[in-house]
Amino acid sequence: MEDDKPLEYRKRLQWGEHDPYRRQNTMIGMWAWLAQRVSAVALVVLVALHLLWTYVRLIQLLLLLTIAFHAALGLRVMLLDFNLVSVKHHRALIWVLTGVGVVVAAFIYRAIY
Amino acid sequence: MGAASTRNVRVFRYNPEEGGDGHFDSYVLSIGNETTTTMLDVLLRILREQDPTISFRFACRVGMCGSCGMVINGRERLACRANVSDIPPGKDITLRPLNHFPLIKDLVVDMQPLFEQFEQTLSFYEPKDASAEPALIRPDAPERAEIRNATDCIACGCCVSSCTMAHYHEDYAGPAALARAYALLADKRDALFEPRLTQALASCYNCRTEVNCTEVCPKEISGTRAIKYIQRLALTHRPEAPPERSQEPREAVAAARWPWADMDRATFLRHLGAGLLGAGTAAALLSVAGVAAIGPALRKKPAQWIPVAKVSDLPASQITTVLLKYDVQSGIYTQPVSRPVLVSRLGEETICYNASCPHLGCLVRWDERADQFRCACHGGTFDASGKVLAGPPPRPLDRYRSKIEGGRLLVEVT
Repeated sequence: MEDDKPLEYRKRLQWGEHDPYRRQNTMIGMWAWLAQRVSAVALVVLVALHLLWTYVRLIQLLLLLTIAFHAALGLRVMLLDFNLVSVKHHRALIWVLTGVGVVVAAFIYRAIY
Repeated sequence: MGAASTRNVRVFRYNPEEGGDGHFDSYVLSIGNETTTTMLDVLLRILREQDPTISFRFACRVGMCGSCGMVINGRERLACRANVSDIPPGKDITLRPLNHFPLIKDLVVDMQPLFEQFEQTLSFYEPKDASAEPALIRPDAPERAEIRNATDCIACGCCVSSCTMAHYHEDYAGPAALARAYALLADKRDALFEPRLTQALASCYNCRTEVNCTEVCPKEISGTRAIKYIQRLALTHRPEAPPERSQEPREAVAAARWPWADMDRATFLRHLGAGLLGAGTAAALLSVAGVAAIGPALRKKPAQWIPVAKVSDLPASQITTVLLKYDVQSGIYTQPVSRPVLVSRLGEETICYNASCPHLGCLVRWDERADQFRCACHGGTFDASGKVLAGPPPRPLDRYRSKIEGGRLLVEVT
């Protein structure tokens, strides 16, 4: 047993690697971040579609909802950035702001049509 | 009280002598009381009763030392603070080493990266005035209240393991080290404010506000709150330039990448500010010019009365086509328009029809023999009063408002 061979470390485990319960136990903050990233990409696509077909209602509605969603999550980060809302309320922030965003989007949609 | 139960415990195994990727070993354990049995108890029982080769770390057993941090069913926890009853009945228990640390054996990781992160943010206290007396801090002092529990860190590494950005940004100091840096930055007795702020600011923007570190911390310290505090310090303080950067062959490095790679934060923000100001001014001027140029075209054009012909020149009891010529003011230029008007003197009053078919705008002509207006494009047919008889037109022929003044027929065009 007494050999001087250095220990071979296993390379660092990553998020979810060998971790069957990770996905269901992932904290919502990470999904909030990821969803905002994905919605940013969606916005680029939707804005392009909106420029092509300005008055297609479906595209307008999707664009409006995506903007509301993206803005709500962005607002969450800003509120946390400036400590205007305590970090301990960050879960509530996600639901409240997304809810407000959807309601505002609905009002805007109703005002247009 | 938790009832007695049998649990399937899966423990991650990695043998450094064999190498490889590692795997889970399953052990079946009957547990007397789930609410008073911790994961550490479970591991110790496996070690004693079933498998003496299993490796894990622990020391204090009461959540003070931070040795037994591991991932328990997908969440970073201290094994000595997690009870078996926390896992829903019937579910496997999965014990796995922390993420983002090199793995030595089984559940034992090398914490060296964490210690290096602490070094990176200069996480040691350097007093401004060397006094042998202990400092007196009132518990209700605002600094004390601000720092709150950030000094309670036991360096278990749970936060670093939960932080996905620790994996994607190699030189990120991580939530533990930044929370420590924050406690020292908020401490006004500390002498290393400037260099520590420089170090902390260099990596604190890797935070994506996922708040994982806050959620898993067994000591309920908020790494997120600490990192946000450091980021806000950038608004009020100007960190000194890192010393080693000036010694680098800057031009060579910069030229290899892109021309602005070398720019420091303050200069970048200044340029950005100037750029935004310029762009804003340009946008304002352009919009004024744009409104001046386009505005008149968008304005509602005033109606004007155009003479068609002398009434005496129009044959009675007939429909005549007259070419109307007039000018339309469109924006800054005048557009000449000429369009036919169908003048009907069949009845007592004179009616002027717009010769454009209401369907798609083709010119309609009067067919004298059929007593109908006909459109050649799609077969639209109208009777003498403009009513649709056949074809696709959605409505009767449009009429101009007309009047007779001084023996001349006038129509109103817009």
